[in-house]
Order: sequence, then C-alpha cells, then structure tokens
Amino acid sequence: MKLTVSARARIWPLLCAMCVASPAFASDGEDILLDSLVTEVDRTMSSLADAEQPPYWIGIGVIDRHTVSLTATHGAASVPDISHQRMGDVDVRVGSFELDNTHKIRDAGWFDAPERFSVSLPLEDDAALIRRAAWKSTDDTYRAAVRRFIKVETNNAVKVEREDGSDDFSEAPAIVDVRQVERVDFDPAPWLDILRDSSARFLDHPAVHDSNVTLHIQDDVRYIVTTDGTRIRDQRVNIRVSVWGGTTAEDGQELQVYDHIDTASLDGLPTAGQVAEMVDGVAEKVTALRTAPVVDPYVGPAILRGRAAAVFFHEILGHRAEGHRQKDEDEGQTLTDKVGEQIFPPFIHVHDDPTLKNWGEQDLNGHYLYDDEGVAAQRVPIIEDGVLQGFLMSRAPIEGTARSNGHGRRQPGSAPVARQGNLVVSADDGVPYDELREQLIERVKAEDKPFGLIFDDISGGFTLTGRGIPNSYAVQPITVWRVWPDGRPDELVRGVDLIGTPLVTFSRIVGASDATQVFTGMCGAESGWVPVSAIAPDLLVSELEVQRREKQNDRPPLLEPPAAVVLPTGSAKGGAR
Amino acid sequence: MMRLLSFGLLLGSVALSPAQAAPPTGVQAPALSPADAAMLAAGEAELLRAMQMEIPGQAAPYYVAYEFLDGQVATAHADSGVLLSFDDNPYRNVRVEVRVGDYQLDNSRFEGGFGVREGVAMKGLPADPSTIAFRRELWLATDYAYKGAAEQLSGKLSAREGRPEDDHPVPSFEERQGLTTAPVPMPSLDSAATLNRVRELSKRVGDLPGLENAEAIGRDWVGRRVLITSEGTRAWIPTGFSVVRVEGVVRTPDGRRLRDCRWWVARTPEELPPLDEMVAEVEQMAATLEAAINAPIEQDYLGPVLFEAPAAVELFRQLLLPEVSGSPPVEMAPDPYAPADSRPAPTARVGRRLLPEGWTVVDDPTRAEGTAGAYTRDFEGVEASRVSLVENGVLKDILMSRVPRSNTHGSTGHGRGLGPDPREAMPGAITVSPARSMSDNKLRKRALNLARQADLDYVLVVKRIEPPALAEDFEVAFTGDGPLAGLTRPLEVVRLYRDGHEEPVQPGMSFLGVDRRVLRDIAAAGGVADMVGVLDAPAGPRRHSLGAVGGLPASWSVPSVVVTELELRAGGGGQPRAIPAPGE
Repeated sequence: MKLTVSARARIWPLLCAMCVASPAFASDGEDILLDSLVTEVDRTMSSLADAEQPPYWIGIGVIDRHTVSLTATHGAASVPDISHQRMGDVDVRVGSFELDNTHKIRDAGWFDAPERFSVSLPLEDDAALIRRAAWKSTDDTYRAAVRRFIKVETNNAVKVEREDGSDDFSEAPAIVDVRQVERVDFDPAPWLDILRDSSARFLDHPAVHDSNVTLHIQDDVRYIVTTDGTRIRDQRVNIRVSVWGGTTAEDGQELQVYDHIDTASLDGLPTAGQVAEMVDGVAEKVTALRTAPVVDPYVGPAILRGRAAAVFFHEILGHRAEGHRQKDEDEGQTLTDKVGEQIFPPFIHVHDDPTLKNWGEQDLNGHYLYDDEGVAAQRVPIIEDGVLQGFLMSRAPIEGTARSNGHGRRQPGSAPVARQGNLVVSADDGVPYDELREQLIERVKAEDKPFGLIFDDISGGFTLTGRGIPNSYAVQPITVWRVWPDGRPDELVRGVDLIGTPLVTFSRIVGASDATQVFTGMCGAESGWVPVSAIAPDLLVSELEVQRREKQNDRPPLLEPPAAVVLPTGSAKGGAR
Repeated sequence: MMRLLSFGLLLGSVALSPAQAAPPTGVQAPALSPADAAMLAAGEAELLRAMQMEIPGQAAPYYVAYEFLDGQVATAHADSGVLLSFDDNPYRNVRVEVRVGDYQLDNSRFEGGFGVREGVAMKGLPADPSTIAFRRELWLATDYAYKGAAEQLSGKLSAREGRPEDDHPVPSFEERQGLTTAPVPMPSLDSAATLNRVRELSKRVGDLPGLENAEAIGRDWVGRRVLITSEGTRAWIPTGFSVVRVEGVVRTPDGRRLRDCRWWVARTPEELPPLDEMVAEVEQMAATLEAAINAPIEQDYLGPVLFEAPAAVELFRQLLLPEVSGSPPVEMAPDPYAPADSRPAPTARVGRRLLPEGWTVVDDPTRAEGTAGAYTRDFEGVEASRVSLVENGVLKDILMSRVPRSNTHGSTGHGRGLGPDPREAMPGAITVSPARSMSDNKLRKRALNLARQADLDYVLVVKRIEPPALAEDFEVAFTGDGPLAGLTRPLEVVRLYRDGHEEPVQPGMSFLGVDRRVLRDIAAAGGVADMVGVLDAPAGPRRHSLGAVGGLPASWSVPSVVVTELELRAGGGGQPRAIPAPGE
C-alpha cells in the first residue's frame, strides 16, 4: 500500500506503519502462512490419532487485515490511522458428527460456551513462529474441547430428549481455491483534502454541534484450512465513506444523522462533489430534526421506504430464519414449524444470496463465495409467494435440513453460526412510489386516523428471538415524516422507534413499490459483526406501532459554537467574574 | 478468593508523564509552530468563554485548565525476532478540567456513584493546525466538564448534608499564582530504533527447550504537555518515557509453565541502557530459565528471605507508595447499607513507623538526572521539590499535589495522573537508605544466620519480583477469604546454602499475607543501590491495570534487604501439552 501525505499533513513526522507490516502472501507462488497452517492441521490430526479422545475435525481461519482510516472534522484532518493485524481462529471438535463438544449444555446458563483461544500470529511470514502460534492455540482448544465433551455427554444423558435430534455438525466437500490477491494501493493525500474540504462545510451549519467525515478502507485476505481438505485463500475489500453529524435538541434528545457509501473497490469511491452533497444532506437533516416535533406513541398505517424496509426485513424475518435458532431450545423458534405455511401475503418473496456482488451500481456488503466454515455460498429461498421455504444454514444441521447452504459466518474471535448475507425482498405487482403514497393517504382516511407515517431511513435495529423475553423487534428510524390526509405538506418528526412482534407484522404488509433500495451495513449477533446487505422495495404496512425513543437529558451546549478565529487580547484569568 | 486471569504482555493505557527539564522562565522562546500557535489561540479564546459559562442557580467555574498533549508514541511487540504488532502514531489530545465553587470547597475528589460525571473531559484533536477545529472540540469538552462539575459538586454537598461541620475544614484546591515557561519544541522519535530493539531482544531469548513465548514489547513516547489555566499558567512541560519488557515462557516436560522477565524504563530512548547490555541481561534470563526447568520445586516456605536489589525495589514500591502519597481519599456518596462509620481508612499517617530505626527515605525528582523519575514540573505545573519522607524509620513528611490535606503544606510538585484521572501525589525519584549498610557477603551471612535460627538448611533469595504491570493474575478478596499475597509473584528465587552455593528453584511461588509491616521486620540491608526505573500510578487499583507499557515513570533506589520472616506458597502444577511442539 502506497502512502504519501499532503503538505498539510506533513507536520506529522511518520506514517510508515505499513513499511514494516508489508502484505504477507505470494499471489502465485509459495504462501508461507497458508502452508504453515496446512502443516499444523495435518500434524495435529496425525499426532492425536491415537489419543483417547482424538479430534474428528479441525479448522483454522485467519484474517490478514490492512486498514486505513482518514477522518476530518471542521476542515482539519486527523493523522491517518493505518494498521495491519492477523487474527486467527482455531476450532477443534471431539466426539462425532452426531454429538460433539460444541453441543449446547442445557440449563448451564448464559455463560456456558466452548472456550476460545486467541492466536497470536506474527505479521511477518516466519513459518516457525506461525506454526508455534497455531500449535499453542490448537493445543489449548483441543484440551478445552476434551474437557467440555465430558460434560456434554453427561448433560445429554441427564436431560430429557432433545426436541431437535439432529447432529451437531455436517460433512462438507473439500474446497481448494487459492485465489490471487492484490492489495489495495491507496494514496491518502487527495482524500485528506476531500475530507478537509467537505468537513469544513459543517461550519456553515451552527445547529450541528459535532461532526466528522471519514474514509475507512479494510482489505482482508482470508485463509481457511480444515481437515476436510479445504484450503481457501480469498480477499474481501470494504471501503466506506461516511458522514456523521450530531446535535442536542432543546429537550435534551441527542440527534445523530449518519450517511455512508460502501464500495468494494477504489473505483467505486464517490467524487468530492458527492461527499460534499452527503455533508450538506446530513447537516440539513440534523438542523431540521433539531426543531422537529416529537411524535406521541401511535398505531396506524405507514410506508417503509426501501432502505428502511430492507433493515426491517433483516430484523424481523432474516434473524428468525437463521438455522441455529430452530435448534436452540432457548430460542423462540417463531418459524421452526412453519415451513410450507403462508406467513406473508402471497405477493412477497425473500431470498438470501451471498453470491450477488452488486445490485445495480451498488456493491453489496454481504457478498462472499465461501462462508467461514469453508462451504460454498448458495442462494437460499426463504419466502416464496408468502410461504416459508427454509432456513439459512451453517454446518450445524437442524431437523429437516442436514447440510449447510454456505451461511456459517463469524467475526474473528467467535464461532460461526448461520447468518444473513444479501437478503433480497421482492414483491409482485409493485406500483410507483407516488401511487403507494396515495394508498397510504387513502388508508389514513378510511381508518379515520389523524395521520400516516413514512419511515425514510433507518439507522439500525435489533430483534429479540429468545423464549425468556417477549419475541419482538425495535427499529430506529433516522427520519420519519408525518403525512396528513388533508393535503398539508409532509412534516418531519422525531423521537420515535418502530416496534412490534414478527408474525403480526408479516401479515400487515399490504402493498409495495416497483423500485428497490439497498441497505449496506454490519450486523451484530452471536458470532460477532459481519457485513451484510438487504434490498427491498418500499412497503405499505396497514398498521405499525411507534414508541417514544430513549432520550438524553443534558441541556444543549451553554455557549454558542465558536465562530471565526478571534485571538484574545489578554489571557483569561479566573477569580474576577 | 477469586482469581481473575489477565495477560501479562498487553499494551497498556497510554499514560502521561513529565520527563525532561523545561527551560526556565525568561528563556528566549523559540518560534511557535503552526500547530502550537493554533493550540494556544484556541485555548486562550475558549478559556475566556469558559469562564463566562453559567447555569442559573449553580456554581460557576472558578478554575478551568486545558492540558494539550501532543507527541508521538511508537509501540512494538515481537516474538523470537518476528513482529507481532507495531504502531507508530502521532497524537494530539486535550484534557479539560473545570472546577466549580471556590478553592475552599469545590466539586473535585468526590465519587457520586455509577454514571455520575465529574469535571474532567478528554478529547482527541485533529492533526492539522486549525484554530477553529480545536476550538470546536474545546467548546464541547468544556461544556461537558462544566455540567459534570456542577453535578459533582451537588453530590458532594448532598453527601455532606447533616454531617457535623469540620472545625478545621481543608480547602479543596491549593490557590497558586499562574506561571509561564518557554515553549518546548516537539522532540523527534526514531521509531525504527524502537522496532529494532524489540526484535533483537526477543530474538535473544533463544531457542530454549519447551519454549512457548520469547516476547519483547517496547514503547518510546516523546511529547509535550501544554498547560493553559484560568490562573494564568502557560506552561510547556516535556513528557514521555521509554520502556522495554522481555518475557520468556517455557513448559517443563511435566507441564509446569515457567516464566521470567526483564524490563527497563528510562526517560528517553537515549537513556535506556546500551543494547548490548540489555542483550546480555536477556541471555542471562534465558540461561536462568533453562536452569529452572530441571530445578527442584520449592514447597511452602516460612523463614527469612533475602531480597536482592531489583526485587527490593518491588518490595518497597508496592508496599511504601500508599504510605507516602499525601492525596486524601476521595469522598464517596453515603452508602445506606454500610456501617455507621464508613469513612475511608486514613492514609499516609505522619508519625507512623514505617521502617526500622535509622532508615531514611527521600524523594527528589530534581536530582535524579538520567533516571526515569527525573522531572522539574509536575502535571499541575508545580515545580518538583525534595521531600524527606522518612527519618529514623518514621514518616515525617508526605508527597503532595495541589489537593491539600489537614496536617501538611501545599504541593510538593508530585501531582501526576493517568489520562483523565485526578492528579494525585505519587513518587518521582525515591532513595531508600538504611541505618547501616553491609557488604553483600555479610548480608548473606546474616540471612543464613536467621535461617539457622529458624532451623532451615538454606535461606530463600528472591532476585526478582514481577512488576504489577507484568502480573498475570490479581486477587480480589471477599469477606471470609484467606489472606491475600500482598506482593506480586517472585520471578527468580534461589536457595542459598550455608556453604555459599546457590540452587535455583522453579518459578511459580507466591507470597502470602505481606503488608507494610514487613518493612519494619527488615533485619539488615546492603549498600547503596542504583536507581531502577519503573512505570507506576498513584495509589489505588489503577496500579494493577497499567498493562506492559502503560503508567508514569518513576525511579527507586533500594538496597538489598533481609526480612526476618515471610511466608511463600509453592507454585501450582501444570498440564503437559497434548500435541508435541512443531519440530519435536
């Protein structure tokens, strides 16, 4: 990675983190890291072959990550944050595919989970040290697996028969795919200037108290080596330009607006003009929200614009379609026994397809060819004609689905579970958005409601899927518009979250537009944060509920924001106010 | 007793420290860099505005301080000569402190409970020299700190409500005149040297049998602290330190995990020992570790213990620091479930016997040139001074920041603290001197005599104790638990027999029930010892969570000592690896 600095950044003496942390792979020849992992996996299996409790499967995953982060605020850039790290995960299974050490120990509480050990891998390609790091972690993991399997066998014998009697792990074909990789070659200097210039635009918006503009590049080379014979080396690049602005309303509510563009290559970066537009957009939204009225809790018809609808589906359907939730007896299992049943209106279809690289011009975050268990990604139909078809699967089988469909994903440091990739929602008979909006107003009038709501954009959300708690969801909109039935202009409002329960909400979708929007972001769950995308048309929902959003209570800043540079004529001296 | 595992060689919090002497007032000031000019302009402008802040009906700020911190930190971590991580980053932050009320009674030193803010805020600043961007950050941080200070003061007043009035109330903060020092230019840092040093030292642990770790971690930090206060202070204080720590870990065939470490702390990279000296020490550590693999396992031990000089530093600094630091305990919100008298235990009691008769302890950062603990001004801008702490074994004086206490004078120039933490009194450069010094030979004989009286064939000699920064475990006591160790684990222990020969024992032992009273049981001491650099923090739990390269630099000179009786527990067992090491 090439790093130079602009004249203004040259005041900082050194930006050479990458100089000593050069990319560690050979694209078309020997790869010391890959070869060392293969050697250790093979050696471990053979050396433990005669152990009393030998492992039946071992997998090592490594992410070799280079990142560059550039940030500017109010026209001034921070020092580029450049890093290189290697993160390793070792998974060892003892027992058998039917029952192994990863099996859930029932009634053991929240804190029972297989122990995991970090792998302290060197940044440089020293085979001896890589092997030593892999060996220590594999040995620690193996011994912990043996210890846990003793408890698993007893727990299985002591407890009642499991509701889902499927195996703990499934076989998967070996994949050998060692890809050429080419590290991102990035010169930060021009971008530092773009960030400086665009971030300075916030100075023209006094209602925005704090803000920044950021460019983050993450360049991952991933290695997967398993005892199945799988050897994968592939690359994933995620580049994000983001704009954040925040303020405090007079009632103490902290208001934040975030806009971003994700791309998989430098070619997809926005222009300086586009970043400036993002800044202006965020600043205008923050300013408008600061004086927008707060909405009381309300139930009524609403439209979820495309990006909001995409997050909505990700939360209320996507997470409930993840395979491991059908097996875990602590889970609500909303959908477990509903395969083949109509749970959405017949015009709704949903599938998840990590093999999709982009959607129109937009690169998709949830794209990958192999999941983190070394299984080829597959397109998985979830809903067809409103009927539930099946689940997203990792290598943990469930009753009725014995094999992975390539959705076992994780953040380094966690065990893989079934996760979403690119969730695609489509609808038959979509109408132009304006027509959908008219349908909303008609419903408001028909139901004699004072207004309808349009959820324009959503910052994120969460869903509760366990049995011990209400099975519900909450989605946090950024911008919500109140739509009056009497023709008054739409009114920006704030201070509400969208809430509900899944099965009821599924049935309330009554219409859709004919155009889709894409949400790209990160999703956090049991196996950590993974990149995802969701695509959906605008949706008309006959009834949605909003509740008041959690509010902070600090007064807005006591003083006006500093304006132009005013050098004081004398020093400030206390005690004489 | 609950033991929680923490990893020894972790990157610690970036601590802030003074180091080199600042040019005295009146020296021709060098031209300001654009960044310096922007910092000053932003600080001056926002300070003026900050003093006008007011919440109706609430106390106004009477003191505002902006502490700009900028510089460069390089941190490298290697194993067997191969790089594990390397960071080389310039930084620029500001610590904003707002005090409301007045010098007699303000918001500070009160802990209101979870979620209650205080009058301090930290913010990162951009690298570009932009006055307006700096001012924006100062504006928000000052607002946050003022609101926190107002709430903190109300908590303090609420906690005091109904208590009998103190006949001799102690002021919250010492009033001082502002001061001005000449600007200090930004020092340069050769981060390649940081990296090479760490690579080389980790390589020299060598290829020991059963080797699991041969790690070295180093941090070089150069920078400045620019203090701008509403009292009129405009002080430029150099800051930084250099630290190197090396760790070797081997596993014996029966599964025991043996560990040894070496470390160096200096004020600047140039003041670290020459690389060949450090290499020689690491090679000696490796040889010791190798010898320990086949050494006997010491069982529980009760008897005299000889602490050689490097170990004696840890013995003294871990036990003595809370006794000589004069910062009063932080006031707490009343606990309705606590016994009626829930006042914190008094600390640093002048007049208490700490050491045997004739012993002295002096702290003087101004006469410690070339050592880690040397400095001329503390973090509050106060000139450091010599303090005679212990005379004839009795505590006579204590180290002070600008936070007064009832029975002593103002600041001694020892106010320092980590990050946003309060500035508290902590040692700079301490010299411990015994009443009488013996030669090493005589000291050993004295230790053996004590062993004979205890019916032992040998005496244990502790050569090194792990610094808290490298401790892999720590203890938390609950009611009903047994005694705590009171001192971190010895790393290197040998048996000294009557015929004078030494026999190493396997590392892994732990002390039992050590407290400050042990220092009064010192039976004899050796000669004057060299200053040893350490990284430390003010008394309190932060001392045990600094990480390998965090903390504030200090120096201690402590002679070897013999303690009449101590208890050490045998080390626990281990588990052999199930998988042979690569290459075995």
